[in-house]
Amino acid sequence: MKIRIVSTLILSAAAFACGSLQAGALTLEQVRAQGYVRAATANEVPYGYMDSDGKAKGLAPEVAQAVLARMGLTDVQWSVTPFGSLIPGLKANRFDIVAAEQDILPARCEQVLFSEPNSSYGDTFLVPAGNPKNLHAYEDIKKDRSLKLAVVNGTSHLAAAEGVGIPEEQLVIIANNADAPATVSSGRADAYAASEGTVGSLVKDNLAAAAPFSDPVVNGKALRGFGGFSFQKDSGDFVAEFNKVLVEFKKTDDYKTILRTYGVSEASIEAASAKTTADLCAGK
Amino acid sequence: MIQGYGIDTSSTAAFALSVLPILLVGLRTTILAMLAGFAIALVVGLAFALLRRSPLAVISWPAAAAIEFLRNTPLLMQLFFLYFVLPEYGIVLPAFWTGCAALGLQYAAYMSEVYRAGIEAIPKGQWEAATALNLTRARTYGVVIIPQMVPRITPAIGNYLVSMMKDTPILSTITVVEMLNLASRIGDRTFEYLVPLSMVGLIFFVLTSLCSLALRGIERIIPTKGISLQ
Amino acid sequence: MSMLTYLPVLAEAATTSIMVSCLSLVVACALSFAAGIPLYSGPAWLRGIALVYVEIFRGTSLLVQLFWLYYALPLIGFSMPPLLTGVLALGLNSGAYGAEVVRGALRAVPGQQHEAARALNFSGAHTLWRIILPQAVPEMMPSFSSLAVQNLKDTSLVSMITIADLTFKAQELRNLTQDSVTVYATALLLYLAMALIFIGVLRFMERRIKVATGRSA
Repeated sequence: MKIRIVSTLILSAAAFACGSLQAGALTLEQVRAQGYVRAATANEVPYGYMDSDGKAKGLAPEVAQAVLARMGLTDVQWSVTPFGSLIPGLKANRFDIVAAEQDILPARCEQVLFSEPNSSYGDTFLVPAGNPKNLHAYEDIKKDRSLKLAVVNGTSHLAAAEGVGIPEEQLVIIANNADAPATVSSGRADAYAASEGTVGSLVKDNLAAAAPFSDPVVNGKALRGFGGFSFQKDSGDFVAEFNKVLVEFKKTDDYKTILRTYGVSEASIEAASAKTTADLCAGK
Repeated sequence: MIQGYGIDTSSTAAFALSVLPILLVGLRTTILAMLAGFAIALVVGLAFALLRRSPLAVISWPAAAAIEFLRNTPLLMQLFFLYFVLPEYGIVLPAFWTGCAALGLQYAAYMSEVYRAGIEAIPKGQWEAATALNLTRARTYGVVIIPQMVPRITPAIGNYLVSMMKDTPILSTITVVEMLNLASRIGDRTFEYLVPLSMVGLIFFVLTSLCSLALRGIERIIPTKGISLQ
Repeated sequence: MSMLTYLPVLAEAATTSIMVSCLSLVVACALSFAAGIPLYSGPAWLRGIALVYVEIFRGTSLLVQLFWLYYALPLIGFSMPPLLTGVLALGLNSGAYGAEVVRGALRAVPGQQHEAARALNFSGAHTLWRIILPQAVPEMMPSFSSLAVQNLKDTSLVSMITIADLTFKAQELRNLTQDSVTVYATALLLYLAMALIFIGVLRFMERRIKVATGRSA
């Protein structure tokens, strides 16, 4: 009798496991059939984060939810993962869409599909109040071997730091944006590199944004970030539909309200429309 | 480029070969952390064990409580505590040493149990003889008890050493650049996790096998009845 | 900020930790016997598979195993939700250690039992299930208890693959409030409480098993 109970448990567990192994949604049809959208964001105020009530907030998640709702997809299930796990998660079919204003980079374009750019942003540093080490650019870190720069794993800021030529010993690679304030205030790093919006939200009594700040120059080009939504490689028609609705949504007042809530300037949105995803993926 | 080595993703074999030197850099840190943590654990563990045996309840009870607390709470949580809380009190240890401290403390709690069992396994006659010979407490421990205890506790201590080595990847969560940390970075850079993670697993497997073999050799060398007092 | 403000959120996350632990312990239990019994006495091929399983999962780091199942496995086609990945990894790991416990306990049963069974014409399987195993189980309980507590502590690692357990929530809470001391202290105390409860339950089970298999003195 006991053996039968145990075997039943094992078999049901196996069945449950097999059921979970089936492929998730890829094409628009599959997403609609699934009934819900699996979305992910990293914890980076104001671009995308989870508040204390478990609701997804921020520029990217709110725009994503609005666009998806207009597409008839109102059930969106959000996960929060470390930034470096967003694209691996898409590739592993754990999510259908990533809404974290990820920078559209050629290397990323090889792994995932991006929507048209949503916003454009520059980088800056989070430094101790008063900017004691007088840091105003990535290149300034190179001037002194004892300086340490914190960056989140997998971000374009890490790529920029490396592109500028900062030696690895001077980098403190953290897993989450949220660890940054503690890293800088404890002195484990002299500065933290992130998008201007992110740094702006981390400024406190003893932490400030380095201003003015100059864009990093890599291979003769000044780098600016262009944030977009990412999808699995096979989701071509999903992305096409999303882009259509996104362009329409940007003309509405709801969109402008979201921008104002998160302090994203109209200028940065204007700048975003200066480039297309195709250009960015080609490295232009 | 990671740790000064480029990554070649042309084929699986080329990828594995180009990733290996990067992982070996991490291996060095892994081994150093293990040795440092182990040294801390051996010393602090002995201190815990002796404090716990103290006849004064005001010493033995807090010691017992500390041991139980360290043994029954997760290493990861203890690690985060040390890494984020100490700086708030002005103590900013580099990540590597924070990691060694966490490993050392948790394993010190395990060690104290091993020491305790080892001490209690020593026949009462030895203690009585030491008293009869008017040996001080320090000499009793140093010359009579500990040499007899060592061979008996070597297997257990050896197992904990191997166990600690397998715990070192936890340090990657506080930015210590050891093997798993580097494998994750390689994965996040190339989006290919299978090769780096499998290689890390393989390296650990080889390491633990080597350690177990070494331990068995050491056990054979150390005389079972105790190190001679001469 | 007092501990009481954080307690509700963390306590709820603690139930996730307990659930992960219990589910993985069920898996581990099944695997311990599935691998331990063949290791003790089974056909060579089955013993080989069990040996490989035990050696791999005892010889490599749990966090590496967890990351491998979470990051690497999807790349060869098996993508499981994080919860399942965590339960599986912990179950496989604890199961490997448990298999050794099972094997050791089976070997510890006195030889006379085997002889008596043979004298009574019991078949091999009958001997194993009816005579040897019931006597071995009380032997296993102390080691199983420590493995169970270790498993509970190991659940904190699943926070690294985005499962919202106690450690994950503690990190989240700390990120929101920057109040490391209180949040972490509360989390640590919750883990301690859970461990003590586990130990209590296991000790109770030990006693019941001793009675059920006729071993109580």
